[in-house]
Amino acid sequence: MSSNPGHEGALPHEEHDAHADAGVGRFFFGRVPEGVHGGLKQYGILAIFLGIITLVEFLIIVPEGLQGSAVVIAPLVILSVIKFFCVVAFFMHLKFEHELLWQIFVAGLVLGLVVAVSLVLLFGVFRPTPRAFSEDRQIHFEHHVEEGHHVEALVVPTPCPVGACLPPAPAGGSGAASSPGEALFVGAAACSSCHTISGVAQGVLGPSLDGIGSASANRIPGYSAEDYIRESILEPDVYAAGTADGLDQDYDGNLMLSTMAGILPALSDEDIDALVEYLLSLQ
Amino acid sequence: MAHVDTTHAPPEHEAAAHPPAHEEETTTGINHRKLLMWVFLGSDCLFFGSLIATYMVYRGQSIVGPYPADIIDVPITTVSTFVLLMSSFAMVMAVAAARNGNQKRLVQWLVFTIILGAGFIGFQVYEFNLFRVEGLRYETNLFSSTFFTLTGFHGAHVTLGLFWLVCLTIIAARNPAGRPSGLDVDIAGLYWHFVDIVWIVIFTLLYLIGGFDAGPDAGHAAMQGWQWITGIFT
Repeated sequence: MSSNPGHEGALPHEEHDAHADAGVGRFFFGRVPEGVHGGLKQYGILAIFLGIITLVEFLIIVPEGLQGSAVVIAPLVILSVIKFFCVVAFFMHLKFEHELLWQIFVAGLVLGLVVAVSLVLLFGVFRPTPRAFSEDRQIHFEHHVEEGHHVEALVVPTPCPVGACLPPAPAGGSGAASSPGEALFVGAAACSSCHTISGVAQGVLGPSLDGIGSASANRIPGYSAEDYIRESILEPDVYAAGTADGLDQDYDGNLMLSTMAGILPALSDEDIDALVEYLLSLQ
Repeated sequence: MAHVDTTHAPPEHEAAAHPPAHEEETTTGINHRKLLMWVFLGSDCLFFGSLIATYMVYRGQSIVGPYPADIIDVPITTVSTFVLLMSSFAMVMAVAAARNGNQKRLVQWLVFTIILGAGFIGFQVYEFNLFRVEGLRYETNLFSSTFFTLTGFHGAHVTLGLFWLVCLTIIAARNPAGRPSGLDVDIAGLYWHFVDIVWIVIFTLLYLIGGFDAGPDAGHAAMQGWQWITGIFT
């Protein structure tokens, strides 16, 4: 109000007039001296205007066809930007303040926007498929388990939350797969996101399934290999190999359960049969 | 220094007659408290920007329900958005009353602002509780944790603002001699309006656009929109 003391002394009339009634048109669109204020009329008009915009925003998404559609994003964003700047300019009075305050606020706003957009681009957009992202960044390493025995493997980083890493289901299965079960394993069922099978899959989160076809026959007394594998797919929490013999230090039961729970509903009985058959074949 | 003070300093009673806000001469001509509030609001943009970005990054990444479409109630939130918007209107009228030195109107508008703000918090408590009852807890999925973090911090801002406004109202009602000053109310108003503009963004992104996301495929439309935009430039 008194940020420009010379003003008050030199032009008392103009200052006074502006206070009494800046005029609705001049208040919203005109150039007005620093420190002008609106009254019930100006702020009331703005409140009604903002209320109408909110109503319009709501009406835009009332038709069911438009709910969640890409078409409404631009109009909704534009309307909210209008509301945003109306509140900032008039309710927060920034139109009538020293320009330094604009600069400070806009600087923060732009930085905030840059942070938000960068994060979204970094984690949400520049990631054609999570699988491609991982495979581009896989690290080759050699590991000597014991004297004379040599293991080579690839560590595949998981750049995103488990479940988001499910690769897109290949249409008609991958040409390279030797059986429908293997196609499912590396494709639609996404088992390969977490499990390793030499020459087929390089997942590092779940236990390796190398030789599971023969190993599973002896895991639980009284279970056939097929029973064991089927149960491990359908009810992964009944028996977890890693916990029993302490092989897997990083075993995370909740992670496994939630991941498997996300995958299972998408699989038909035939899919499960094909997977079991494929895993049994791994000797 | 000593003579300057004795010759030019106004007598004690004259200095006391001026409210402190008018005495303050700063190099920018802007009151320091007001400048500081704007700096804080500028930095708060970064805080909410990051939380909003986190929500957008994890949008459509949940692998278990409930998903937004199962649980978000857009009509009710439209009403609560309107309530918060009107509280901003009441706040700006309180600021105008404080500037005009109308203590009675100031108290009235402040009380009106508090009622509307508390109404908004009431809607949020109702919503959070409904989500909890329907099985959406903080740790349920990526949607719930990012949603509760973002809207929870916003709700905390509103609650803090309410506390501030209650204090101002008590001061205004008890002490009619020029306190709180126009500046005191103005600064509280800036904070309050900022909370409103943050909600404008949240309402659009989380409710109007993101509120219909169903299942793990959600956010696909946004992706298509994005690809459409980038397609124009390539």
